[in-house]
Formats: sequence, C-alpha cells, structure tokens
Amino acid sequence: MEYEIIKDNLLAEIDTGLKFAKSLDKMAEFEIYLSYRSNSDVVIKQGVVEATDGTTAGTAVRVAKDQRVSFASSSGITPDRIKRTLQEAVASLNATSEKDTRFQGFCEPKPPGREGKFTPAILDLSTDDLVKYSLQIIGDISKVNGRMMAVSACEVSWGGFAIGNTRGLERASSSTFNYASAYAMAIDGNERRASEEEFISREKAIDVSGMGEKAAKRALSLLGAKKLNQTTTLPTLWSPDAAASYVLASFGQSAIGNAIVEGLSPLAPKLGNPIAEKQFTLIDNGQDPQGIGTESVDAEGYPQGRTTLVHQGVLKNFLFDSYYGAIAGNPSTGNSGRAGGPFGGTIPYEEAPKITIKNLEVVPGSKTEEELIASVDGQGLLITDPPIGIFHSDVSTGDFSVVANAVFMIENGEKKTPLEPLSIAGSFYKGLEQLRGVGNDVEMTSFFVKAPSLLIDGFSVTG
Amino acid sequence: MLDKLQAAVSFGEKQGADFVEARYEDMTLRTLRRVNETWKDIIQKSRTGIGVTCYFDGTAGYSFTASEERKDIEDAVKRAYRMAKAASTAALLKLDFDERPPVKSKPTDTYSVKIHPKTKDIDYKMDLVNRAVGAARDAGKEIQTIIGAYGELYGQKIFTNSEGSNIDWSFLVVDLPCRVTSKTNTGELVFASHRMAGSFGLEKFKQKDSTPEDIGKATGDSAAEQTTAKACPIGKFTALTDNDLTGVLAHESFGHLSEGDFVVIGVSPLAGKIGEKLGTEQATIVDGGIPDITKNGGLWLPYDDQGIPASMTTVLDKGILRHYLQNRGTAKKLEQEPTSNCRAVHFGFLPIPRMTNTYFTPGDLTEEEALEQLGTGVYAIQTAGGQVEGDGSFLFKADRGYWVENGEIQYPIREVALSGNILQLLTQVEGATKDLSLKGTYFGGCGKAGQYPLPAGLGGPKLLIKGVTFGGKA
Repeated sequence: MEYEIIKDNLLAEIDTGLKFAKSLDKMAEFEIYLSYRSNSDVVIKQGVVEATDGTTAGTAVRVAKDQRVSFASSSGITPDRIKRTLQEAVASLNATSEKDTRFQGFCEPKPPGREGKFTPAILDLSTDDLVKYSLQIIGDISKVNGRMMAVSACEVSWGGFAIGNTRGLERASSSTFNYASAYAMAIDGNERRASEEEFISREKAIDVSGMGEKAAKRALSLLGAKKLNQTTTLPTLWSPDAAASYVLASFGQSAIGNAIVEGLSPLAPKLGNPIAEKQFTLIDNGQDPQGIGTESVDAEGYPQGRTTLVHQGVLKNFLFDSYYGAIAGNPSTGNSGRAGGPFGGTIPYEEAPKITIKNLEVVPGSKTEEELIASVDGQGLLITDPPIGIFHSDVSTGDFSVVANAVFMIENGEKKTPLEPLSIAGSFYKGLEQLRGVGNDVEMTSFFVKAPSLLIDGFSVTG
Repeated sequence: MLDKLQAAVSFGEKQGADFVEARYEDMTLRTLRRVNETWKDIIQKSRTGIGVTCYFDGTAGYSFTASEERKDIEDAVKRAYRMAKAASTAALLKLDFDERPPVKSKPTDTYSVKIHPKTKDIDYKMDLVNRAVGAARDAGKEIQTIIGAYGELYGQKIFTNSEGSNIDWSFLVVDLPCRVTSKTNTGELVFASHRMAGSFGLEKFKQKDSTPEDIGKATGDSAAEQTTAKACPIGKFTALTDNDLTGVLAHESFGHLSEGDFVVIGVSPLAGKIGEKLGTEQATIVDGGIPDITKNGGLWLPYDDQGIPASMTTVLDKGILRHYLQNRGTAKKLEQEPTSNCRAVHFGFLPIPRMTNTYFTPGDLTEEEALEQLGTGVYAIQTAGGQVEGDGSFLFKADRGYWVENGEIQYPIREVALSGNILQLLTQVEGATKDLSLKGTYFGGCGKAGQYPLPAGLGGPKLLIKGVTFGGKA
C-alpha cells in the first residue's frame, strides 16, 4: 500500500467491517481500529548488520453491550481477518456476564485535529540509504577512537490508522518518522563507559552528521571515573535526555486519568495546588506539528489536543480518554493511545485503548547548562544520560531509586571528574518541590518528551 | 502450511539466498484483568503470520507478513533477501554457519496437559481471577486496589529451512497474578504481589498451594504486612534473595551478558572469558528449554525459532564460565554449539539470542540454615523488575523483605533497590537453598532490541550473597 492511499484504503475497510458488525448483533456497539505501518531498520553492531523490512498490519475490535465490553485483535487487515476479529470479540462478549458499570459508550464523533508535519524525503529513503547512514555513524565513532565499541541504527517508519464505531465516527490519520542512533562505548582496562546520541524527526530526513563524534567524545570523557565514596544528599543536574526520562517516569504514569480515577496517583487530590517550583510548566501537546506523537485523532478517534498539566508550579489538569474522562466528569483530552513509549506495547492493534502522553514539553527556563552548573554551591552531580531503573518506579509512591552511569562531579560551580556509577534515590514529587533551576537547552528526545536541563535538590546519593 | 513454507524457502534460494528459514505461527493470547470491581481487560489476540530469514554472505535479512497469500509471502521473501544483500555490503563481521542434519519433530515434543486453556470458556478463567481477588480481599488490610489477572498464550509453531527441517509443535504458557496496594496509617501506599505462571494446564489451579485462593491469600497477607513495614537500612549487607528475585538476578544481570550476539561483537564483559573463574563454587547457572516442569515449573520450549532442538546448557559451572547462549551464526564464530536460544517474540520479529529458563542451580541449605548463615542483613523478596547495563552493573527493586539479625527475622521492610555489578556479585555468592522454583511468564516477560514481551522462565533457589548494596529510600 502506498503512503498516500493508506487512509482511504483503511477507511473503506472500516466501513465494510462496521456493516458486517451490525449484522452480527444489532443491539451491540462496535469499534474497529485498523493499523498499517511499514518499518525498515538497519542496525550495525561492531560489524554485524541486522536488517528488517516489513509491514505490521492488524485489526482491533471492541464490542459493548449492556455495559459488557470485550476486545479482540488479529494480525492482518484483510476483510476475512476483520470479520474473524469481529466474531471473536462477539464470542468473548457473549461468554461473559461481567459488567463494566462505568462504561458509557465509545467515542462520539468530533471534528478532527491536525496531522503533524510531513516530508516526502523520509519516504524516499531506501534500504541502501539506511545502510549508508549507519556506516557513516560507525565511521565517525571510529575516527574519534578506533578502539571504541560502536553501534548504529537507522529506521524509517511510515503508516497510518483508521478508527470507526457504530456512533458514526470514521476517522483516519497518517504519519512518518525516521530515527537514528549512535552508541559508543569507551574501554580502558576494566572500565567501560558508554554514551548515546539520537536523532528523531517527522519533518526532516535522517541527518547523522556529528552524532557519532558526539557520542564517542562523551563516552571518552567518562573514562577515569572516581568513586564518590559517600552517602549524602546532593543537588543533581539532569541533562535534557535524563530530565526527559524523569518527567516521563513521573507524569507519564501519575498524570494519567486512570491512575487518578483508581486512586493510584498521589497527584489526584492536588489539582489546583502547587506541586512544583514556579519555574516548572509542563504541557502535553498532541498537536505539536513537530511532535512524533502528533496525529489528527487519538486511538479512539477523538481529536488530539494540547493540555497544560502544570502551570508555573500549579497542577492544572490530568490526561483523559473518553472512558476515564466520563468517570471523572472531564471531557477527553484526546490522549487515548494504543502503543509506544515505556508504558505502552509495541504493536498498536494488539492494545486496547488506554491513556498515554502524546508529546510532553517542559517549558524552558533562561539558564544555560554552564549557568546551572555555576549556580551549584559546594558539591553536586551532573547526570548526562537517562539513569537505569528510572521507569521501574512505583506510581503510587513516586519513590525512585536509580543508578546513574554517566555522571560528573560538580564542585564550586564547575564540572569536574566523571564518577563511577552511583545510586540516586528520592521522590519524583518532592524533587519537583525542590527544583532549583530550569535550563534553556530544550531537546527533542525519543521518549516523545521535549525537556531542558533540570537542577533538583535533595536526592540521596550513594556511590 | 508446511508446503507454503517450503515454497518460500525454495523461492528465497532461487532469488539468490545462501540459506532460508521460514516459520509460521498461529498463536492465541488472552488477557483478563480486573481492577477492584471492574474488568479492565477482556482481551483476545490472534497472531497468525509468516516470518522469513534470508541469509546472504553471512548476513541475515528479515521480513514477515500476516497474509497467507502466495504473492504476499513471496514479497516478504524478496524484502528479506534484499535486506540481506544490502546489509552484507556493510557487514564486517559475517556470521556463517555450518549445515546440520534436518530436524523432524515428534508429537510428544508438545508439553501435554490435562486441562488445556482452549477447552475452557472465559467464565471459567474469570472465576479463577475472582477467587484470587476474593481471597486477597479477605486477607488484606487497608486495601486501596486489588488487581487480579489471567493470561494465556498458546498455539502452533511450524518451521522449515534449507536443510529440510520439519518442526511442528505447540507452545503454552498460563499466568495468574494478583497485586494488592494498601495504605499505611501515615497515608503511604504499599503493595505486594504473587503469581502462578508457567507451561501448565488449568489443573494446576486445583493443586495444593497453587489454587487461586492460595495466590490471593498470600498477596493479601503480604500487603497487610507491608502496612507496618519499615524502610530498609541503606548500606552494604549480606542478602538472602528469594526464588523470584534470584531468578531475575540470573536473567537480567547475568543471562543477558551471556547472549551470543553481545559476546560475538565483544560488547559483553563475558567475551573471551570461557574457562575463567568468575564466581564462587556455589554459583552455577544453567539455561534450557526442557527443565523438569512437573517438579520445578518453568517454560516448555523444545525448539528455538532457528529449529534447533533444546538442551540444558551449563553457562556457569561452579563459578567457571563454560558456554554462551547461541544462535547458529554466533555459535560457529565463537566455536561452540548452537544452544536453542534463538527466539522471536512473534512472526513480526527476527529471531535473536534470548534466554529460555535461566537459573542458579539449587544448593543444600534449608531456609532456616540460609538465614542462620546470613546472620545480619536483608532477606529480599520478589521484584517487579530490574535493569542492567552492558558492563554488568544492575539495579533491581526487591518488592519487600525482612531485616534479619543473628539469623532471626526482625521486621518487614518496604520496597528497596539493590545495585551492584554482576561480575562482582558472582564472587560473593555464598550458598543456595535446596528448593528450586521456576515460573514462565505471560505478563511481564523479557525485553531486548524492541522485542517485548517474550515469555521467559525465571526462578531458582534462594541465594545467599554477601556485600550487596541496598539503596534505601530518600
């Protein structure tokens, strides 16, 4: 299927599918979601190349009747597979008497939002281009240091989805993106220090210039690490990649409507109250033209929107789909999602809709990284890559305990030596109250989060 | 279906591929998940499709299709071949492999169960969850949330290749987890979870200590105990890790480093260390797809996705590194045998070296003896997850545990992080208990290279390790 005709083709299948659905059960409500996505990717790891090129296509169906709801999915989008999925969903529904008493129906049709930016240059990338760019990254890493371990990856993804239900909703959205990564590991005796540089865009074709060099130099700069040799409390400066992981690990779980409704999120009772320092403003923007998560409608067909979660430190909103929005007495914020991110699955049609972030943005401050470093009195830490374990924190407590592998000492306002891996523990929420600075160095990350550097006080560190 | 796969192999060879593998999967997945009184997920998934690997000049290209039409299968073969050919121009390290005799499967390769999940309707399975949730509610205190779930994944896997192998077997895993979140009198939320999971039939839930009531009660009891638990002291202590946590240590921290694809490119710190003593006499780690499931549980995997029959591989033998987890190409390059570890999450993915059931072998201690030997330290129990870096550094969260002094349990402790480096840790293993307990997961599962969740067999004995860093809480 060509990119230009995906939406029309999928919508035609949806239309036929809904007609068949009504013949199965006139009293039931149906929702059909079709997804079609082509992915080509090339990975080069130390000279070994892995190459995959395939199309992931599938069908998801929800059926509801008398407040009973079921879900079925199948790989494939042929009329036969769509019919089979509908039949399986109806069979599941009929086999159970269990009710979801909070279910009030599938999404009502509303005018769609806008799709994000698109460039045909991404579609024009060939298998050979991906191989060429991956080789260029490896070459750039080797130029910095021939003994480094190098891994590069390039990926092109294009496709779309369509959603329809028996309330008259029929919508489709399509998108492209391409991605590249450069991973370099510096080795000196038993010491191994790695760093990664990424490129992700929906509006520009892959540009790998400088990536390999940057990753390689950062990895080398981490060699010669010293032991912190203490357990203490220190200010920590999270560079944009690390800050993005912090914001996603916390708000990606705790500002989500289901966590609010089910009482799992400690943010639930704090709406309208300050939860962070004034300099912190956080937006989920499902209509950012550059955002990888931008579509005209979300995974249940509701227009994607822009929601301010925290404005100058005050908790303003949570993210909802129509199901949890109805329970909480809020309209949907257009945040129904099916896959992607650290809390989503990998195959969209295999996931029942749930609430997900679209594109999180931390509004930048005015300070450069150097000024943030200079503002640290005495000792502090600079964390340059997402620490390990950050996505394993528990939403209900906000407590985290992570190991930072790429970390530098800050002393008297200056960046000093690299440190051996050390553990950092604290609470996401207390951290926001002890935010000491927000940088102006916003970066787009592969987490679907745009974040600047964040300087946070009060975490305990051991190393 | 076998004839379509054989035609795909021939078509790939005609295109110019040196070697072709084609596999078909027809899998059914079911997820039932209840949060408090509400059924959040009543989900059925079908995964039916074909995956094709073409090899050209020591390099693999992969493609797949959900269609069973000849033209779509041939298109997938062409894409796989095109990728292999393009990739071979960039590959500096080629992973050729030797021809082997063709493999033919037997009907007895499929693990036989009394009550296969496909023979029972949804209500039967919802009742299992309801019984677990009910027992958890009865046993728990100050409960905020109870989550009960049931998961099953089963179906046919057919494989053929240029050698003429003909493999046809059926996979099965069943999982019944329960999780309770309670509120302490200071308003903090604490949790506990238990599960029964692996390759077994639903008759398992009628056996002593394995009923839904047993799972629910254990969860409620543990969560109730957590309401009075204290923070774990921060510092380095001797640890006794329970069977589940020991399993995650073996899998996450050590197992991944032993995967042949990490080793062959030199990224793993285990590369080039065959025959070296890395751990104590008490540290033996095995991996394999055919454990004694009836006795110890686990996941049944008689073949991998390259058609290699399963064996039990001793990776670490009394502290000495003996073998890596291989696919055909990495095995030849590293001068070892394939170990039946080449697996894919489903037909949409290239099979890569993955674990099957990975565990420390049991020792000779009873739990009491292990606690006595522990002296003063932490008895760390279960985990919701862990993560490692390429150099062997890791971080795991024990869900809960006990503070132990002079071999006596003193008080329950909250969720706590353990961190360190596995290569260091292996030199600190001081003993293991006699009891071996394995689980095969449907929920959760293993993630690697974008392939998640792959059912994996986890578990082990309880393991006594000195000098473990406990991160504590801020």
